[in-house]
Amino acid sequence: MSPIAESSAESPTEFDEQLLRLLGRCAAADASALQRLYELVSPILFACLARILRRRALAEEALQDVFVSIWQRAGQFSATRGRPMAWMMSIARYRAIDLLRHERHVPALVPDLPERLAAQPEAASEGESPAWLPPSGLLEHCLALLTERQKHCLELAFVGGNSHEDISRLTGSPLGTVKSWIRRGLQSLRQCLEA
Amino acid sequence: MKPDNPELVDRLASEYVLGTLRGPARRRFERWRASTPHVDQRCRYWEEHLMHVAKGLQPVQPPAHVWLAIRERLNLAPRRSPRRWARSLALAASIVFVAGLAGLLYWRSLPAVRATAVATISAKSGDEMWQVEVFGTTNRLVVQAARLATRPAGQDYELWALPKGGNPVSLGVLPAEGTSTRALTAIQKAALANSIQVAVSIEPPGGSPTGQPTGAIVFVAPLRASG
Repeated sequence: MSPIAESSAESPTEFDEQLLRLLGRCAAADASALQRLYELVSPILFACLARILRRRALAEEALQDVFVSIWQRAGQFSATRGRPMAWMMSIARYRAIDLLRHERHVPALVPDLPERLAAQPEAASEGESPAWLPPSGLLEHCLALLTERQKHCLELAFVGGNSHEDISRLTGSPLGTVKSWIRRGLQSLRQCLEA
Repeated sequence: MKPDNPELVDRLASEYVLGTLRGPARRRFERWRASTPHVDQRCRYWEEHLMHVAKGLQPVQPPAHVWLAIRERLNLAPRRSPRRWARSLALAASIVFVAGLAGLLYWRSLPAVRATAVATISAKSGDEMWQVEVFGTTNRLVVQAARLATRPAGQDYELWALPKGGNPVSLGVLPAEGTSTRALTAIQKAALANSIQVAVSIEPPGGSPTGQPTGAIVFVAPLRASG
């Protein structure tokens, strides 16, 4: 892997800069900065958590954990660590995946969920980037090169927090096939991003 | 240790970020990431790119009580004017009584949650400075400051896990007084699980700006499994 490929794909947006300033103030224990940060990013992080955890109360508790963590770790974040939104979204997603591991009460996937999960991101993924997401022509170009199945599997995993086994059940495809769609999807993405 | 094959690192990093790396493999990878800069770098690469897969996610406004709970947990009280303060004090006194009673009853009805690891940080004189308790089952870290834990002028004490074979992982700034409770992140938990010691360094206010100790390590204490 070349060193160029390691660097951030695009330069920071105004929104990134705003988040960075707020994180800097959080690191200096400025509570009003955390409140502002919460106003800006809690809706998208909450959506992320609710989609993975599928239970509102659990997502609310996880959102608390995420902001406690952001406050405590704000000092460890710097622009050299990439985009603040990616950092915060990762804190949220990993927390949710962690909770899935402990939580035995997450309802079994209801039959109508596959269509909803599949349809929603794709329907909305046309058009302009939402405010929280920096525009990335490159990634969109690369995602468009994947097969529909590969893209669908990546969405079910990343957005829905589904495991290989969940995705196999949801798509009615054998586990081995799902694993290989995902592996090849990620490989193709990397080849395209680093070409 | 693991082979440092770039293809393998990249495959694991991408599946970790995507969320399909699960179970013990996920936890092992988290420990590896926490201690290995180039693994961390590959994860960040995927975190930035795969974020775009969630483009269609519609924001959902969380209910107001979530922010109040966060403020409570972090002890971030809103500023108040003196008159409101006096009125609030009277109100608070009556609430404290009722809540205390309710809390006692609730607390007594809860199953006891026991610390999974503890450390006592003492000065050379033998005086206890902090009691650190790790609650692995609820992902909480509780630190109680002894009366002697005064802060160095204009600086903070920061607590670190010292995972075997890895870099120190911050567990946050230590309280100068009282008890602080915080949620443990997966990285902190993994680091603690792999540590037999914790350390305290002197850092700028708010903690180390780099994520690694920048000031002198002033205390080291054994971390003992318990419970």
